[in-house]
Amino acid sequence: MERDRLAAFLDQIATRYHLVAPVAEDGVVDYRRVDDARRVVLDELSTVPPKTHFFPQTEELYSYSTVTGLEIKETVGTPAAVLFGVRPCDLKGFLALDPVFAGRFRDPYYWSKRERTIIIGLSCTTVQSTCFCQAFDGSPVNGEGADVLFTPLEAVYLVEILTSKGEQLAAEFSTFLGTEGVEEALRGKEALARELDGRFIRQVDLEGVKEKADRMFDHPYWRRLARRCLGCGICTFLCPTCHCFDVVDENRGDRTGLRVRCWDSCMFTDFTLHTSGHNPRPSKTERLRNRILHKLKYHLDRYGLHGCVGCGRCVAKCPVNIDLTKVIAEIREVD
Amino acid sequence: MSHENPLLPRPATIQKIIPETGDVKTFRLTLDDAEAMAAWHHEPGQLGMLSVFGVGEAMFSISSSPTKREYIEFSIKRMGKVTRALHELEAGCQVGLRGPYGNHFPYEKFKGKDLLFVGGGIGLAPLRSLIDFVLAEENRGDYGRVEILYGARSYDDLCFKDDVLDGWVRQPGTVVYTTIDQAEERWTGHVGFVPAYLKEVAPTPENKYALICGPPVMIKFVMQALQKLGFREEQIYSTLELRMKCGIGKCGRCNIGSKFVCLEGPVFNMVEIGQLPPEF
Repeated sequence: MERDRLAAFLDQIATRYHLVAPVAEDGVVDYRRVDDARRVVLDELSTVPPKTHFFPQTEELYSYSTVTGLEIKETVGTPAAVLFGVRPCDLKGFLALDPVFAGRFRDPYYWSKRERTIIIGLSCTTVQSTCFCQAFDGSPVNGEGADVLFTPLEAVYLVEILTSKGEQLAAEFSTFLGTEGVEEALRGKEALARELDGRFIRQVDLEGVKEKADRMFDHPYWRRLARRCLGCGICTFLCPTCHCFDVVDENRGDRTGLRVRCWDSCMFTDFTLHTSGHNPRPSKTERLRNRILHKLKYHLDRYGLHGCVGCGRCVAKCPVNIDLTKVIAEIREVD
Repeated sequence: MSHENPLLPRPATIQKIIPETGDVKTFRLTLDDAEAMAAWHHEPGQLGMLSVFGVGEAMFSISSSPTKREYIEFSIKRMGKVTRALHELEAGCQVGLRGPYGNHFPYEKFKGKDLLFVGGGIGLAPLRSLIDFVLAEENRGDYGRVEILYGARSYDDLCFKDDVLDGWVRQPGTVVYTTIDQAEERWTGHVGFVPAYLKEVAPTPENKYALICGPPVMIKFVMQALQKLGFREEQIYSTLELRMKCGIGKCGRCNIGSKFVCLEGPVFNMVEIGQLPPEF
């Protein structure tokens, strides 16, 4: 596809699907429904990961009324959507979340959106200073998890159709796609991959980290690390693989209301606090250890998948510079 | 999606409220949908999520035995927001129920064995579902002697007095040892903490499983006492309870290391507990 046809392509999609793409508002780039392709921002990694589309920060589960007997009404209606511009690290984030919301108790809110969404991935053309997707077997041009992958080249986008959903979309919008110059574009993608490969500033070596994490639960390192943690939770809110939530009632005061779930964070004091006052993770040491071990060990133990995709958002946004890439290096070093 | 939506509570009605202590009530529920009630099945030790609409949801042990097919009971101490709201309800009120959740006591494995139950305070609730299951006529022959050691802070704080002081005591092959923390005029029974009383009673470990539930500190000392009495870790089970919001392994807060208590628990063998990080 010629690069200058992207806006027309997206506008066309928006006439038939909910088009969800990264847009900027008040300096924050996140994935929202867009009607006008000119609003789409593609020059950097979004501030908030696109998991918001499948697992929104606040999500209505059902409404209730106790006016005349208890009535519970499920919140239904998932529109068919196209999620555009998902970076390779965030695609891996979806793959990391999938098994959490699957399993014996399948989460219908997550999966109804997941199933009715066609994902268009977007290869990166730059490597940011906080990026480390390489460490977790990722790459700036890896389309795993997408239905279609767009790779921006000089004059065209290389459009790779990766799944049957992708084929469906390609057939629907075939007028935008050409078959000329595909060989050249594939070579262009390879060249881009090689070039970006050498641009990673952060070299993260995971060798032996899991094994070390398996036996350093009681290590004094965690206390040292947690000393400067503020417990603000930004690392969890911006993480593509964090899935913790709270369930609360929004009572209208007339015996009707909504039950909603909203993101929660294991970095908060009352996350695990029992009513009795007992708290299994009473201080920042336990809470930060839980987050780091979730990323490097627990998710891997449970699902056989890395709990981190190397997007670098937590590194970029931590107000006290707790840097997961340094933590990984330190875990390797401590006795 | 409703039949497959595990987050959607089913309407249930409180049939009866049995006051247990000053701050514990047993709520006897039935699901409003008769078919759903007939299809309801829980195992001893499993959990249920109760909703008071407009207030919230909270997870509780199911305290009735699965052999009581006509109702589902929860014995609940008045502690926080949801439990306070529950305590204000009356018979006939509706609540929401999700579940059952979690694993259960491995009662198949217990067949042919003697059982020792050690409970403290409201911790008797999850054990009661198994005690009544074992003592039920259809199951009694599968199990040996049943010993129940139960303690609470005071006479008033003893839960299930009808069972503890009367019903269970009358059952053949069953011994109940009851204790309260401090002496009271109206109490002629044993006085002292549960772990100390356990050492005094000194049950033998042969051909026996021990099942514990109570406050975390009691569980810890009871485990130590049992080991001193010769119980091996494999013979000891406990239930661990952590804060939960979903009950289905998604909300992330009941993890102990890589395990979710709502899925892999709440019942753990002491060998498993030893392998978990000490974060519960």
